[in-house]
Amino acid sequence: MIREYEELRLSERTHAIFKWLAILGAATFVVGLMVAPQRAWSSFLMVTIGLLGMGLGAALFIAFQYVCGAHWAVALRRVPEAMCGILPWASLGVLIALLVGRSIYPWTDTHLEGMKGVLLSYSFVVGRAVIFVTLWLLFVGAIIKRSRRQDKTADTGLSMSNKRLSAGFLVVFGLTFWMASFDWVMSLEPEWYSTMYGVYHFAGLFLGALAAMTILAIWLQHAGPLRNVLTHEHLHDLGKMIFGFSTFWMYIWFSEYMLIWYADFPEETGHFIRRQTGGWGPLFVANMCLTWLIPFFILLPKPVKRSPGMLVKVCCMILIGRWLDLYLLIYPSAVGHESVTFGIWELGMALGAPGLFMLVFVRNFRLAAPVPVADPQLQASLAHHQ
Amino acid sequence: MASAVAISEGPLILGNKTPGIVTTDICSSLERTPAPSWWIAIAFSGSMLLLGLVAVAYQIATGIGTWGLNNTVGWAFDITNFVFWVGIGHAGTLISAVLFLFRQKWRTSVNRAAEAMTIFAVICAGLFPLIHMGRPWLAHWMAPYPNTRGSLWINFRSPLVWDFFAISTYFTISFVFWYVGLIPDMATLRDRLKAGWRKRVAGFFSLGWNGSFRTWLHYETVYLLLAGLATPLVLSVHTIVSWDFATSVIPGWHTTILPPYFVAGAIFSGMSMVLSLMLIARKTMRLEDYITTRHVGAMCKILIATGGMVAIAYLTEFVTALYSNNQYEQFAFMNRAMGPLCWSYWIMVGCNVLSPQLLWFKAVRSNMAVVFVVTIFINIGMWFERFVIIVTSLHRDYLPSNWTGYAPTWIEIATLVGSFGLFLTLFLLFCRFVPVIAMAEVKGVLSHGKKPH
Repeated sequence: MIREYEELRLSERTHAIFKWLAILGAATFVVGLMVAPQRAWSSFLMVTIGLLGMGLGAALFIAFQYVCGAHWAVALRRVPEAMCGILPWASLGVLIALLVGRSIYPWTDTHLEGMKGVLLSYSFVVGRAVIFVTLWLLFVGAIIKRSRRQDKTADTGLSMSNKRLSAGFLVVFGLTFWMASFDWVMSLEPEWYSTMYGVYHFAGLFLGALAAMTILAIWLQHAGPLRNVLTHEHLHDLGKMIFGFSTFWMYIWFSEYMLIWYADFPEETGHFIRRQTGGWGPLFVANMCLTWLIPFFILLPKPVKRSPGMLVKVCCMILIGRWLDLYLLIYPSAVGHESVTFGIWELGMALGAPGLFMLVFVRNFRLAAPVPVADPQLQASLAHHQ
Repeated sequence: MASAVAISEGPLILGNKTPGIVTTDICSSLERTPAPSWWIAIAFSGSMLLLGLVAVAYQIATGIGTWGLNNTVGWAFDITNFVFWVGIGHAGTLISAVLFLFRQKWRTSVNRAAEAMTIFAVICAGLFPLIHMGRPWLAHWMAPYPNTRGSLWINFRSPLVWDFFAISTYFTISFVFWYVGLIPDMATLRDRLKAGWRKRVAGFFSLGWNGSFRTWLHYETVYLLLAGLATPLVLSVHTIVSWDFATSVIPGWHTTILPPYFVAGAIFSGMSMVLSLMLIARKTMRLEDYITTRHVGAMCKILIATGGMVAIAYLTEFVTALYSNNQYEQFAFMNRAMGPLCWSYWIMVGCNVLSPQLLWFKAVRSNMAVVFVVTIFINIGMWFERFVIIVTSLHRDYLPSNWTGYAPTWIEIATLVGSFGLFLTLFLLFCRFVPVIAMAEVKGVLSHGKKPH
């Protein structure tokens, strides 16, 4: 059965909105560097980690699907593939933050003693970062290249080789990502440590990517390319995954917090005290409400998970929660915990990030057919039902 | 779709079986007299159980001073065995509940046996804290109810109390889930058996099942709801077990990654135990058509995934201890790898991190003998993981004058052997009296009568 799939056409106005948002973000950053460099770099790091999470989360979604041999999301795979387009930009952002914005990391200027000094020696951290992002880009690039090549060659062998590459990517991700989250975010407070940190970042990035993917898929259904492709059944499964990973995030959050609260070591509790005092308390609670509590109760009934309108609202709430989560992770350590710092520099770059993301997404989505037309599992995915 | 056939994995159940053949295959092994191998096996496991009973009777009569514990190592063999057995149970719940929600149809061939193992493993686990109480006849003091014991009220801030509730909830839900799944098969047995006490028992437990549309509808609704309820339990039970350690201030115990790390380890160990026993059952009960290389392969892949998570947790813990610059943290982990009990650490790493890597190869996954050996290694490795966490973290105290060693006494070893005896005896009885494979569920995934597409 040959079906025609619509190309993605953007109205001039929509494109202009994305473009101007991105320009606004960039302009805020440049001006911020001159006026308030600490805040500009902290905000830059937030945007970078957030966008990196979108790309890596999308790549993980693709890899999970291949490794499990799951067919349900094959028809939607071009959405996460296009989301991965942000990865090179986010990787560049990480390197810029480490090389140019190094002033936000307290350990770059002082010499730390013992093994911490070895693990957080500047050249070692930068070297690791280069290796991590290179590995991620190589694996993700190879997977997407094969998926797109299959459109033309219809070679089922490419699905098999993507399955192997996906397994490789998952191993590489598992071995590197926790260290990356230590290096790039946790080390903003070099005296504090928690073994859960990498798992916490993983839970957040995957949830955020799922939420973004769901919004984008619903948008593309309205815009044309995924019309007659995305069904209520797909949405139901995405809704269940969001429900599950939102709860997983809360589980990880609670496990980390509870253990630190219970043991009550002064060297550990500081991290949370700094995020509950000085006006941060309401945000601390809002993070949990937006990322888990409200989505949990809204997503419980089956009809909600099958309703595009409701899903988009919940996903937007989760993405705001994700922003807040990164804000709470980075700002109290990098800018100061005495009071909540929010203003033009944070707002401008928070608006710029989705603009940049959408520009890259749209460009990448147009590089290939809107669905993987020659994937052997496409028909099963299009006819997917519970 | 020629290309779709190329990557599809073929039928789940081999031999183009009809539903009638499935019933005959599974029920016939319950209806004939047991093979000599079954009698030998139950005699062996029964002896182990007897040995355990003698040891338990002796230590309850004499007191738990018969164990090898000392002032520094106040928790060792009993809690290791407790955590080991709780972990074994987790694969059953994963297979029955989580894989059901994930629409993994291959689970139908193994879920019955895996759930039975969950129940038996939780029974084995429960024995150890019960014995450790010293006076197990006072176990009801764990339950919070109005009483005349004055200030002897439960300390709700203690993770050990949370554990009591977690495990008892887990047992209840697992048992109900297992039993609900069993009802249609009990009805099949009832309808096949000749009049007699077995028919009456099967009739009683099938709760008047009549196979009507309404009955099935209710059954499937309940099954889905129970799967939804059991899924959080996969995470919560071992999370709370991990809190027994992680809420403390002992270096090596207090680490925040412990909850998900324990959960992954539990599924890892449980899946390897399920696989060990199913490989034996497959061979002796001639279930090769039901538990195919595809089923074994899928379980091997779960072993690779969960084993990988455990390996990353080992790595994270070690590196974070170095990163912490906290000398006690650093010492705890260096002592694991290089201290007097380092042999147990390296057994753990060898069995849990290295041996599962063989399963990456398809040739290994389809060689049942090699898979069996790997699963035995994982079982051993996961027992040692708990031993490493518990004993090596304790035997080196903050004060060097308190440093000591630990060796189990024969009483403790006999208790462990007895718990294996109990587990295997229950499993062998299960194989005799209950359909080992969920017939009603397997009938839903047969390829008979479906056109290849």
